[in-house]
Amino acid sequence: MPNATTQSRGDRCIAAIGAYAPLFRMDRAAASKALRFSGLGGRSSGHRAVAGWDEDALTLAVEAARTIAKEPQAVIFASTSASFIERSQATLLVDALALDPSVRTSDVAGSRRCAVSALRDALLGRGNTLVAAGEKRPATAGSPQHLSDGDGGAAALISDNGAARLIGQASISHDLVDIYASREHPQSYAYEERFVRDTAIGGVIAPTIKAACAAAGVEPKQITHAAVHEPLPGCWRDIARLTGTTAANFASDLYQSVGDLGAAHALFAFALACAEAREGDLVLLAGFGSGCDAMVFHITGTMPGAREAAATLRSGVVLDDYTRFLSLTGAIELDWGVRSEFEQKAQATVLERYGRDMIGFMAGRDTKGNIQFPKSRIPVRPDAIGPELMEDVRLADEAAKIVSVTADRLNFTPDPPFWFGLVQFDNGARVIMEFTDGDGKGFSVGDPVRPRLRIKSRDSRRGFRTYFWKAAPAQRPAIEG
Amino acid sequence: MARGIKDKVAIIGMGCTPFGEHWNKGPEDLMVDAFVEAIADAGIAKNQIEAAWMGNALDDINVGNSALPLAHALRLRGIPVSRVENMCATGSEALRAATYAVAAGAVDIALAVGVEKLKDTGYGGLPLRTKGLANDLWMPYGSAPGSFAQLAGAYAARHGIDKSDLKRAMAHVSWKSHQNAALNPKAHLRKAVELETILKAPMIADPLGLFDCCGVSDGAACAIVTTPDIARGLGIANPVTVKAIQLCASHGWELQYGEWDGSYVANTRQAAKRAYLEAGVNNPRRDLSLTEVHDCFSITELVTMEDLGLADEGRASFDILDGRFDRGGAQPCQIDGGLKCFGHPVGASGLRMAYEVYTQLQGRAGERQRGTVDLGLVHNLGGAPFNSIAAVSILGRLH
Repeated sequence: MPNATTQSRGDRCIAAIGAYAPLFRMDRAAASKALRFSGLGGRSSGHRAVAGWDEDALTLAVEAARTIAKEPQAVIFASTSASFIERSQATLLVDALALDPSVRTSDVAGSRRCAVSALRDALLGRGNTLVAAGEKRPATAGSPQHLSDGDGGAAALISDNGAARLIGQASISHDLVDIYASREHPQSYAYEERFVRDTAIGGVIAPTIKAACAAAGVEPKQITHAAVHEPLPGCWRDIARLTGTTAANFASDLYQSVGDLGAAHALFAFALACAEAREGDLVLLAGFGSGCDAMVFHITGTMPGAREAAATLRSGVVLDDYTRFLSLTGAIELDWGVRSEFEQKAQATVLERYGRDMIGFMAGRDTKGNIQFPKSRIPVRPDAIGPELMEDVRLADEAAKIVSVTADRLNFTPDPPFWFGLVQFDNGARVIMEFTDGDGKGFSVGDPVRPRLRIKSRDSRRGFRTYFWKAAPAQRPAIEG
Repeated sequence: MARGIKDKVAIIGMGCTPFGEHWNKGPEDLMVDAFVEAIADAGIAKNQIEAAWMGNALDDINVGNSALPLAHALRLRGIPVSRVENMCATGSEALRAATYAVAAGAVDIALAVGVEKLKDTGYGGLPLRTKGLANDLWMPYGSAPGSFAQLAGAYAARHGIDKSDLKRAMAHVSWKSHQNAALNPKAHLRKAVELETILKAPMIADPLGLFDCCGVSDGAACAIVTTPDIARGLGIANPVTVKAIQLCASHGWELQYGEWDGSYVANTRQAAKRAYLEAGVNNPRRDLSLTEVHDCFSITELVTMEDLGLADEGRASFDILDGRFDRGGAQPCQIDGGLKCFGHPVGASGLRMAYEVYTQLQGRAGERQRGTVDLGLVHNLGGAPFNSIAAVSILGRLH
């Protein structure tokens, strides 16, 4: 039987929620068409969110968390596809969000349930905790996972006060090998769907949900909204039948829009559920993978970030170019020519001196108030005559416009063209930046842009990467189709 | 302002290799070829050279650090030899160093050599950087065309010029240089090209197409300088003299301070202002017989015409289309084909430009000779518009 508890040691709540989906949405039907000769690929309806070449689990998590990271005392990064095994993404996240370095940090992984488990522990613990999940899982072309998985991020801020109050929870640990990934086999390996469906639903998920509802003192049929991570698309009907739940499952809708987001999926779906829920509603959140964690929340008000999360799904660019999809997801390695061979080694000593200002996009304000990036001993201000002390000014959330721009087709980039140019921030700072997410109308002089954290360099020879902020269109186009 | 170097230094010999893809020549061969021509032109013995400067911008590409490649190639015995580097303005920097040494009275005869061996990279375009330093953590690593293409959009926005009209003027710049290079036996790209071909060329960095970009070449150029008195003693009655050499480098203002609109090159304006003052040029449109400017890309030449005061702001495209800077126009620019078609072996280009002006001043330019030439200007630009080093030199005859 699942281990269940009623929330009794004071209120613990989800105070804010964030969600992020990358720009591209692969049209599964277009992918299926490209794969028609083979009969491979799995389901052909809906879309699958596709990260840019310069996005990874960390950047996706940062985008999800950047608006809700209000002075947490702990930061937990959750992912099954983190780029680094030995280098804490949670620590990078602290620097990227310019949080106080005294914050407690930890990274969790192990199954796609890890973010929900971390959320549960934070709810059972103390203080303000930020849980940020990002996922960009590798998959083999032709496998069902390649089209069913999606890339994205989600985050939640846990506190003593908030719009979603935990009233009961339950967990079960169960080594059900539905899919796995390993160092020797980084892409998900899946077992028979019928076995997974029958065993996961009846033996793991349904009992945990029932136990959580019991712990909360509610009947499953009282649940008004669900965010239950299905082991496979289309399982919700059976889960609902077995538990007696009648609520709509927002995780199913999310799958259709962006795919299975792994560690970020249930949190993202919870945000969608909260966007629809009203005061007094009961929302069920459940994460699945090597077991199940289920939690029941009582909604007491409007959840910050929920409406924005729902809006995220309505903007983007439909991708119907299967070859580009293969390249962006790393399923094929294109030969980019000799210019792609240039050295991208980053030096640890240089990172130590400048890395935090870079990933935090920290400019400096000189003694006369001029803001510049990067900081320097002697300011760039024309009348500066000697060294001055500079005050930190973060540019990541500042509005900006393009001064000059080009689409460079000579320079190597894994997804041409290489857009870059001068960016003028409204606060006076000026930075030459790479641009990203230009699909749609591209970039022109005067366009408003916003910074987004992205991979700056990828040293494939040594398996290292650096991060910096790139200028993206201030507004994304509405998704078509 | 200090008195400057006007007429304190004479150029008594110059040499320049053909620029191009020298698959069968190394940098040492190129330096020797340029030097042999220059020393024969000067009529001196090698052991009369008292100091030498080698300009080479891209040390990783088969030339090597330090001045040793030059000292070895020319077997320069027992004299100071130094390497200078200031990106694409390197050639002018070598000439400036040699000129200053003579002007200071430190030596009587000095040598400046610029060399670059780009075609050993194994790919087109300029070589890629190989170091992982602080700027790599944030600065976009755009290509040279990408960096200069930024000028076009900003220029069009500032002056309200339709991008297609600007593109046509840029195409004329390249068309004109191809026409000129067809008459130059040392030029890399000696084929005239139709305007429509230029306009329809594949895009490299919007709006720069293939023909808006200069050639990437191997080559070397060389100058021997001395005092006017020594020149006269060598039998050169009215030598070519340096009227001005000025240089200005970015200090971050364009990149970091929110004033520049990206539509011009501030350092060119500053260097030109000082060069005109040093040379006593009051009206460059009237006084300069011709110019050799750093036309790494067509838009650079267009903008440079305004930065040098040779066209009114916002009017360069019209002057270009009117033919003012064509070979037969009022003030020819790139009469030798320019970087666009003579080629651009980076460290040699500044000296190559001086070589053409020197040749024209002496009336030795053959088929492409521009009548009587009194003053010629060399504009050599390193870096990118937002982070540049501009060198402006003016050459003329002593009398």
